[in-house]
Amino acid sequence: MVQTKKQKYLFLAFCLVPTFIMFSIFTLYPLFSGLYYSFFEWSGASNTREFVGFDNYVELFNDEVIPATIWHDYFLVATKVIGIMIMALFIAVALTQLKIKEAPFYRIVFFFPNIMSVVVIGILWMFIYNPSLGLVNSGLEVIGLEEWTRPWLGSETWALPSLVLPSIWAGIGLFMLLLMGGISNISKSYYEAAKIDGANEWQQFWKVTLPLIWPQIKISILYIVITTLNGSFIIVQVMTGGGPNNSTHVMGSYLYQQAFTQYNFGYGATIGVMILVLSLITVVLLQLLLRKERVEY
Amino acid sequence: MKRTVGEKLVRSGIRLPLILWSLAVLYPIFWMFLGAFKSNAEIYANPWGFPEEFSFSNFVTAWTEYNIDTSIFNSFLVTALGAALCLVLAVPTAYALERIRFKGSQMLFTLYISAMMIPMVLGWIPLFFLLAQFNMLDSIIGLSVVYAMSQLPFTIFVLTSFMGTIPKSLEESASIDGMSPYGILWKIVTPLTMSGIITVTIMNAIQFWNEYFMALIFLQSSEKYTLALAIDFISNEAQYTNAWGVLFASLVFAILPVIILYSIFQRRITKGMTEGAIKG
Repeated sequence: MVQTKKQKYLFLAFCLVPTFIMFSIFTLYPLFSGLYYSFFEWSGASNTREFVGFDNYVELFNDEVIPATIWHDYFLVATKVIGIMIMALFIAVALTQLKIKEAPFYRIVFFFPNIMSVVVIGILWMFIYNPSLGLVNSGLEVIGLEEWTRPWLGSETWALPSLVLPSIWAGIGLFMLLLMGGISNISKSYYEAAKIDGANEWQQFWKVTLPLIWPQIKISILYIVITTLNGSFIIVQVMTGGGPNNSTHVMGSYLYQQAFTQYNFGYGATIGVMILVLSLITVVLLQLLLRKERVEY
Repeated sequence: MKRTVGEKLVRSGIRLPLILWSLAVLYPIFWMFLGAFKSNAEIYANPWGFPEEFSFSNFVTAWTEYNIDTSIFNSFLVTALGAALCLVLAVPTAYALERIRFKGSQMLFTLYISAMMIPMVLGWIPLFFLLAQFNMLDSIIGLSVVYAMSQLPFTIFVLTSFMGTIPKSLEESASIDGMSPYGILWKIVTPLTMSGIITVTIMNAIQFWNEYFMALIFLQSSEKYTLALAIDFISNEAQYTNAWGVLFASLVFAILPVIILYSIFQRRITKGMTEGAIKG
């Protein structure tokens, strides 16, 4: 290349520096100063910021709502992982292995909720759960199970489980596609060999398909866990706002409430630190747990 | 090979859940469209059926009395500005990270990629005060910047992998012909990466168009509301005003552009999202 060193570095700076400055200001700085804020008591006005050391953390450990929000988050993580993986796996196998003519139609339809706004999904499902007009209760009445009808989102027991279905509804498509990609990469010869050995379709699924798409399954589970811990509060905020009586608050929606509606910015930041720490620990533990030897035949 | 009766049974048994799930996906969306054409009385009398006559009055009311026109404009603006800014910042960085050898290149790439996994909620509190200092709180420009930055790591990631597939020989011969590196980036690399740029921009645009939570935090006055916020507002208010028809009409406004983009770019969107998930 006919370029002096100086020219090369100038070009490099042109490419990297403006972006990195923006990234530092709007991403790195807020994250680190979030850590810093967690040591202050602060209602937002600049002259009232007071250094309180670990007081916010002490408050965090004594706050009765906090364990509930953590439990709610992990409840959503666990139910979403199980629900989405079972359904996505079933659909992916059905659409790839069973030569269904209309498979592209299903693929296109099932994916669509993935690109819908959480607001639209939340409002649609609020109607589905509506106590008097909703599909769920009218459906139960039609099949004669009146005693099962209830105000789903208004009940302290049922509101949180009711949030699982919309999350699964909205999430399946992406993981279906991920798993389908994995399955279509498996060479046909493995199935032929399995057939010659007398394996039925069920055995083929357990002995051939599942071990060979383990990498995709692992990625999917990790992805569901990360996106749920980092984003479950959005559907909560739209559908229940954390209520009734805090029964659906997750860590993120509690942070929003503390910081932006009650103006406890310092305490909000402390909850943010907790979210960061918990999600990092979870991801690391999960990676250790899922580290299963890659199968090669 | 002949199929046994058992196999045929299994096959139709598997179709049933597929059909049921398609209904579960399509019916609520379809029903939302129907609701937008119904009067309030009809929504109560016959919530899940067809309207007796199709009326556009809900759309008109939403447009004229609920400021949906302003919100749609705001959403378009924030989507376009956010997507454009994100590209301007991501293309040069992606090129430098992919093609130029320098110390710390791998570290910088890792830094950007790990930002994709960090929960940004923690950063939103300081960001709120930072934007207030810059006079960018409650502003569409401010929100566009925040949006662009939120998708920057993903955009850089997708673009580097696209640029990795372009043969180096074109850049080398252009350089021998005396073209400056700036010219190579602008006139050779950018056009060749167009497919990746389009894919990632469509995905960012859908993301920004749909976004709700950051808008909730960083916007305050109703004339700045994006569509997602306006809909949330109408939805909360509808409990008292019973303006359900208007709510459905505004949901239709929100979902229509996404449906149009999806029907044109279905392949790009699904491919981009699955690849983003695999490496992210």
